[in-house]
Amino acid sequence: MRTISYGQAINEALAEEMDRDGDVILYGLDVAAWGGIFNITKGLLERFGPERVFDSPISESVMVGAGVGAAIMGLRPVVELQYADFILVAGDEIFLKAGMWRYMHGGAFKVPLVVRLPSGATGAGPEHSTCPEAYVMHSPGLLCAVPSTAADAKALLKQAIRLDNPVMFFEHRRLYQKRDEVPEGDVTLPFGKGVIRREGRHVTVVAWQYMLSRALKAAELLEQEGIEVEIFDPRTLSPFDSGTLIESVKKTGACLVVEEGYRRLGVGAEIGAILMEQAFGYLDRPFRRLAIPDVPVASVKPLVDRVLPSVEAICDVCRELAA
Amino acid sequence: MIQNDRLRDIFAKALLARSFEARLIKLTAEGFLPPLLHPGAGQEVAQIAALSAVERDDPVLYSHRGVAYMIARGTSLSAMIADMAGRAGGTNNGKGGIMHVVDLPNGIYGESGTLGGGLVVSVGMGMALRRRSPGRVVVHFFGDGASNRGTFHEALNWAAVQKLPCIYICENNGWAVSVPTSVSTAVENIADRAAGYGIPGVVVDGADPDAVMAAVANAARRARAGEGPSLIEIKATRLLGHYAADPQDYRADAGSVAQRDPLAALRRRVIELGLLDEAEIEAMAAAHEAEIDHAVEAVKAAPPLDSDQAFTDLYA
Repeated sequence: MRTISYGQAINEALAEEMDRDGDVILYGLDVAAWGGIFNITKGLLERFGPERVFDSPISESVMVGAGVGAAIMGLRPVVELQYADFILVAGDEIFLKAGMWRYMHGGAFKVPLVVRLPSGATGAGPEHSTCPEAYVMHSPGLLCAVPSTAADAKALLKQAIRLDNPVMFFEHRRLYQKRDEVPEGDVTLPFGKGVIRREGRHVTVVAWQYMLSRALKAAELLEQEGIEVEIFDPRTLSPFDSGTLIESVKKTGACLVVEEGYRRLGVGAEIGAILMEQAFGYLDRPFRRLAIPDVPVASVKPLVDRVLPSVEAICDVCRELAA
Repeated sequence: MIQNDRLRDIFAKALLARSFEARLIKLTAEGFLPPLLHPGAGQEVAQIAALSAVERDDPVLYSHRGVAYMIARGTSLSAMIADMAGRAGGTNNGKGGIMHVVDLPNGIYGESGTLGGGLVVSVGMGMALRRRSPGRVVVHFFGDGASNRGTFHEALNWAAVQKLPCIYICENNGWAVSVPTSVSTAVENIADRAAGYGIPGVVVDGADPDAVMAAVANAARRARAGEGPSLIEIKATRLLGHYAADPQDYRADAGSVAQRDPLAALRRRVIELGLLDEAEIEAMAAAHEAEIDHAVEAVKAAPPLDSDQAFTDLYA
């Protein structure tokens, strides 16, 4: 099968969905003439024209708010916010408008909006370095996708554009150049269905996006020590596939969540609570988390590396859980 | 000058809105309705005149103050009471109460609970109208208080850059809850800000339905022709409190403001013009009361909403 990068996969998904459905429009800062600061939307302006692909001012509130307005009137807008941190700049529009316009008006509207959110603790400064999925997972009315491979990025984005609900689509910046096998043609993935990336019987590790690649490395190292790690990639956080996770925990009796967001009330905290409520009897060891230790992510590499969950830290916790 | 039948229609709808709202306030005092109405008394004439200058299927995002927008478009009275009362037969299944009445066949597209939150939504509605329904316009009402949100700047700037078919109507009643514009706002006229976006900004008297209609008609003509948005500021009169039971201790003119009631002025005018006489107005008011009675009875006879409704309508 051919291999393409995660970034190219997103570009293909956008092009194919815009080709398929004339109601899909795409806008954001730098997405048109430049093709996106991460080169993800290159060629789309030339292919689909300025009425469907256009640049916006630095106005995150209207970027997302207009997305809601266009969506309730029948378009399918795809908005790029450039950095996922900016969901907080457009907080009213994401959490209150996209999340609740349909509900508070009694279901009169559909809100088929996709907000693309390049994320990752990459040393771009504390306000350009977060993985704020937990805010979205916390909030009713929003769907949340966290694709980890090029194939998933393409299939989940195509699905996101077709869904009639607002999707916060997290794209990890460290994955944009990563190449994977991606099937040709029209492939989508359902939301709410995760995947076991690696089978094992001692510890279940939940990880996605960049932390998934670290978890996979840790699992390879641990295999040499006789520790078999099972890795669950949820693919979407809202909805969250607790069923597949619980089946895995039934087998391993131990669970570690590795995430790139803040630890306190993070995604891991929610997953831990799900396991306490629904799978307590299957856990032989305390539930564990690795996350950003509740400080902002700084700008320089030594400080970034210090707070990101490392392969070594994942190995250490897995050894404790497998002991 | 507004044609006589149009003026009579604006008066009739404003009179109905005033009576309907008074009944909602009475039903609130009696404990049948929750205290969530933000009365629009004093602003009905301008709201209805503005909407009579566009087509019925031009979508509207309304402001939180009052029910006249819905009365102008013909939304069912009983549905609005049911929304407020939590009874079956409302427009939003108990999710939005009186603040989020929705009536798509009549172009009522809802309201943002965060004031000024609708400004940015209207921009996207304008984008969609231009692409899917060229020639239609979106009308967005908001208050002077909401004009101090950052969303005002972001929305008007981008709507102007894209020349979107949006009409921005600021009802400046001088008060953001208890804060007067002299404390909150650096410019005399909100419409002066239009210059910052390169769009027309006009000020009209909210007691002058001719001026309101002319301004909105002109903005609609521009928008439909692809010339972009306009900002219209209506100098409005808030007769009552922010909410019905607001004691308005902060307001020096609370005792005298009734003398500036635009509906009373319009009543005098329709009589002077010979469009209606006192007896006809009394008969009209009596018919409105009967219509309201009928709506209230229908809601009182309707079952309470099933609490399972808390879990519906979130996802499509």
